[in-house]
Amino acid sequence: MNKESFNVSNTSNVSAAVAGLNVHKSYGVRYICASCAAKVTLSRNDPVRCKECGHRVLYKERTRRMVQFEAR
Amino acid sequence: MTDHQQEDAFNELLQPVYKGRGLTDAINTAEDKWHLLPAFLKVKGLVKQHLDSFNYFVDVDLKKILAANQVVLSDVDPEFYLKYLDIRVGVPQRRDAHAFNTAITPHECRLRDLSYAAPIFVDIEYTREKKIVIHKSLEIGRMPIMLKSTNCVLAGKSELEMASLNECPLDPGGYFIVNGTEKVILVQEQLSKNRIIVEADVKKGIVQASVTSSTHERKSKTYVVTKNGKIYLKHNSVSEEIPIVLVLKAAGIVTDYEILQLVAGADSQFQDLFAVNFEECAKLGVHTQHQALEYLGSKVKTVRRANAPKLSIYQEGLEALATTIIAHISVNNLDFREKALYIAIMTRRVIMTMADPKMVDDRDYVGNKRLELAGQLMSLLFEDLFKKFNSDFKANIDKVLKKPNRANEFDALLSISIHSSNITMGLNRAISTGNWSLKRFKMERAGVTHVLSRLSYISALGMMTRISSQFEKSRKVSGPRALQPSQFGMLCTADTPEGEACGLVKNLALMTHITTDDEEDPVRALCFILGAEGVATIGGTELHNPNTYGIYVNGTLIGITRFPGKFVNEFRQLRRRGHVSAFISIYCNHHHNAVHIATDGGRICRPLIIVENAKSRVKADHLAKLLKGDMVFDDFLKIGAVEYLDVNEENDSYIALYEPDIIDETTHLEIEVFTVLGAVAGLIPYPHHNQSPRNTYQCAMGKQAIGAIAYNQFNRIDTLLYLMVYPQQPMVKTKTIELINYDKLPAGQNATVAVMSYSGYDIEDALVLNKSSIDRGFGRCQVLKKNTSVFKRYPNQASDSLGSVRTETVEKRGPDNQTVQTEEPIFQHRALGVDGVAEVGEKLDPGMVYVNKIVPVNMGQDLLNPNAAADSGANGEYKEQPVVYKSPETSCVDQVMVSSTESEQLMVKVLLRQTRRPELGDKFSSRHGQKGVCGIIVNQEDMPFNDFGVTPDIIMNPHGFPSRMTVGKMIELISGKAGVLDGSLQYGTCFGGSKFEDMSQILVDKGFSYSGKDMLYSGVTGECLQAYIFFGPIYYQKLKHMVMDKMHARARGPRAVLTRQPTEGRSRDGGLRLGEMERDCVIAYGASQLLLERLMISSDAFEVDVCQTCGLMGYNGWCTTCQTSECVVKMTIPYAAKLLFQELISMNIAPRLKLGDVF
Repeated sequence: MNKESFNVSNTSNVSAAVAGLNVHKSYGVRYICASCAAKVTLSRNDPVRCKECGHRVLYKERTRRMVQFEAR
Repeated sequence: MTDHQQEDAFNELLQPVYKGRGLTDAINTAEDKWHLLPAFLKVKGLVKQHLDSFNYFVDVDLKKILAANQVVLSDVDPEFYLKYLDIRVGVPQRRDAHAFNTAITPHECRLRDLSYAAPIFVDIEYTREKKIVIHKSLEIGRMPIMLKSTNCVLAGKSELEMASLNECPLDPGGYFIVNGTEKVILVQEQLSKNRIIVEADVKKGIVQASVTSSTHERKSKTYVVTKNGKIYLKHNSVSEEIPIVLVLKAAGIVTDYEILQLVAGADSQFQDLFAVNFEECAKLGVHTQHQALEYLGSKVKTVRRANAPKLSIYQEGLEALATTIIAHISVNNLDFREKALYIAIMTRRVIMTMADPKMVDDRDYVGNKRLELAGQLMSLLFEDLFKKFNSDFKANIDKVLKKPNRANEFDALLSISIHSSNITMGLNRAISTGNWSLKRFKMERAGVTHVLSRLSYISALGMMTRISSQFEKSRKVSGPRALQPSQFGMLCTADTPEGEACGLVKNLALMTHITTDDEEDPVRALCFILGAEGVATIGGTELHNPNTYGIYVNGTLIGITRFPGKFVNEFRQLRRRGHVSAFISIYCNHHHNAVHIATDGGRICRPLIIVENAKSRVKADHLAKLLKGDMVFDDFLKIGAVEYLDVNEENDSYIALYEPDIIDETTHLEIEVFTVLGAVAGLIPYPHHNQSPRNTYQCAMGKQAIGAIAYNQFNRIDTLLYLMVYPQQPMVKTKTIELINYDKLPAGQNATVAVMSYSGYDIEDALVLNKSSIDRGFGRCQVLKKNTSVFKRYPNQASDSLGSVRTETVEKRGPDNQTVQTEEPIFQHRALGVDGVAEVGEKLDPGMVYVNKIVPVNMGQDLLNPNAAADSGANGEYKEQPVVYKSPETSCVDQVMVSSTESEQLMVKVLLRQTRRPELGDKFSSRHGQKGVCGIIVNQEDMPFNDFGVTPDIIMNPHGFPSRMTVGKMIELISGKAGVLDGSLQYGTCFGGSKFEDMSQILVDKGFSYSGKDMLYSGVTGECLQAYIFFGPIYYQKLKHMVMDKMHARARGPRAVLTRQPTEGRSRDGGLRLGEMERDCVIAYGASQLLLERLMISSDAFEVDVCQTCGLMGYNGWCTTCQTSECVVKMTIPYAAKLLFQELISMNIAPRLKLGDVF
């Protein structure tokens, strides 16, 4: 993914949030179950629970934004 | 993966081929007997004492407590009863109502801040409307479960299974998880209970024998003391000291002659010393038991419960003597014989000490100490809670049964379940706060539990073997702090903290076991089988005959024997055959003519090889079988080749250190000599070559070293975690290192060290670091910090929530050079994702928000208008309460965990990661108590190099050696260098290890100097250095003290609200204080303007209006006291002084300022 295309998708998401759209619905995979590694989508008032195995610990997926590190 | 690999890590040590030694190789018992040690640790483990104690509590003690409190009756309804039939503890379960799977893992508890607890089930039998009902498996509470105990899900799991549970297979266990934190109940050291201790105060001429009686019902302390040469009995519940003869008369000894015989025997010196006491009793006119008891009864301090019947004086005396004085000896059917003997023996010990002051007991002797473990403490707590539970339950049913006509039939089951939270809460609270307060025993102990330190693997392990003393730290006696010879092999001789807790906090040695309680009655019976004469039939003459020995079981005389040697030997033979528990000790005390048998818990003991007829009972073929895996450690116990000795029994033994040392008198052989040290001191290579305090320093520093913590370290979300990026196992290992798996979870790196001076930045132990080594990853570590935010629910339906990202419009130059307006998140919200929590992997700069939490403005219950309140709560206003990143250095978001707490509230844990490379001022240490900070970082090209072009990672100043005398470090360097050249790992085991000569030989063979010195070239000039440089690898640890966490400076900054002075401390961006002593210097120097500037102008200068007439302060040039502005002048004083004046005024003291001209 080159930098330009990346930025475009990123800003569109943010503007959607600004426009007050319900971004949660439009979002795909957000969390990963700690037990079965299933990808779980949660909306605001959902109880935290894996839809596949019922495990209560979920991890947030790594960002798709570009992150630049200075290796030293 | 084969089964073979799945097995426990210890198995490697027991494999057919180990360290290049195959099964067919000749077995040398002298060399290979140490294999018993891994076998011991495989069975027992390092924290086995904790697990044993907890298992004993759950399996045995719990049932005993239940049996003691079995029936609950009602005061109202005589027909009602409830009887507990059985009690058991299940496996840890989650409380989640809709869980698919009720089993819970410790790891989940840590992540979700839950308690790792299992339900306690009881079977009950009770009456319901004239019918007897039996109800099975009723839950009465939840018991926190010790990790790796039998009830834990981790018990007996293989390495693979442990990994699937997200648990580290090397984790020692032995701790609890309460509300997500790991808590350890430290081992407590106490003076042994129910034993006589004789002490003397030479100055005051006082001798006293005391005994602390401890039973399940009460605890009391009884003294037999001398006063003006006469002997008295002293007890808390008796208001004054009672003459001893009177007490013995009260205990049913009829004649004075019999008393004299029981106390003094036939010895005329003792008789003379004791004779005065008869006079005392006769003067009081007490001649009969009845009179004596009445006298005793009149002195008893009675605390009667409310509606208890009043007793006569005689009955009072009887009750006191039967139940409170020396309470651990129970009196049945008013048969005081046993108790009378006990008092007589105490008196005799006092007389013996009066005759010979050397006969006192040593309080610090390890044999007189008992260790209290988690199980005992939990049992005390549970018993207290269970009694309270029962009384609450009784009060509840009484209330219901009192009602004359109940609507529906009464079921006690309903009221019993109400109180179940009391037990759960009580256990949880005690473990999480560490406050053990038991009203019954007047026990109020704080700081019983500690958070398990996860700084490094060693610090966690060190915590599990730690023993804390009940002694006061402030007392200025050296005795308890000193190293006792009896600690040999039981307590580590090196591992103790420096400073105030020095010598009071100890650590267990590597091969120790702490006993649990054993049944006493079978042992008593066995004594009589072995020919002991019972106590009922003997008098003083027989008892104190110089040829007879008393037999004492747990300190109580049960009989005598005329053949003590034979008796003890036979008893030991039975124990070696396994007819008696291996942990029961028997020994002779020839000073007291006594054979002591101890079955009680809390004694430290250690295994030794039995030697018979100058031959070790462990033979070569046994060791061969052990290596093959056909025998385990317990088999050695069973065949009578190995036995456990406690400190007292060690005194009866003659222990050879090595097999060639065995002579005819030898009774035992040491399994391995390096077990005098504990787990933490075992890391030190060649500790026997070091000055002893250096080993102690290393024990403290080994716990601060950054390294690998556990195999699951990346799955853990701890408040603070330090991890080394490239840890290495040491080149010079010890056997202990392998046994405790330090080589699998190391904390340090093998640095090539040149011992030489370089630049001036290496004075005072500072180190010179090679910049390229740092670039390659030397000393690189990661710091992981956790932040937890819980999203609360409020009574009005409102709840905390996550806010959205705020944006701003930014003008940007597009690809075709046109300005485009785009919406971008504001700086603070740049790391946030759409859910209001920072995205994983995002970099955080100071000031950025990583959890955008919002809380409702209105969260209370509006009583007047409940609907409106609910309305405003559910979709009302919110205010932001974001979690802002504050540290000056950037971090990365490592993990974001979302879960729910027990009360179904959303919980978000964010783990932030920093990677740090060594910098100036970071602390390093070798394994020899030689710490130093990094003084300068030098480019590799400027570092000295040898013929091969090898440059050192660290240059250490040679001045570190002469005064510290850490010869072990030098030998470590040589062994390490030999190992590097040879491609082998060398050993630096205590009292053993690779020999210096062999190492030198390797060096010579590889073309190096035998001394470890190399010729180096200067990196700066390229000339060869004037001296040969001691050069080779030393294992270096990076310690947790890093400059980044400490550096602090301030020019201007926040001030405290009250005093307007600069705040204190780095965390509040505080100022640096010019203290009293610094102030004194400035005064002495006479720099008054500097003083004024430091103490007022740069601190809390404040302009006030002072009235010259009244001397009080006004404002705006107006004096409110004088109602004038005439003489008001402005002046500057410290705000703190103004505050003081006002506070004085508020107390009706008028401080008046008198102003005068200075110049």
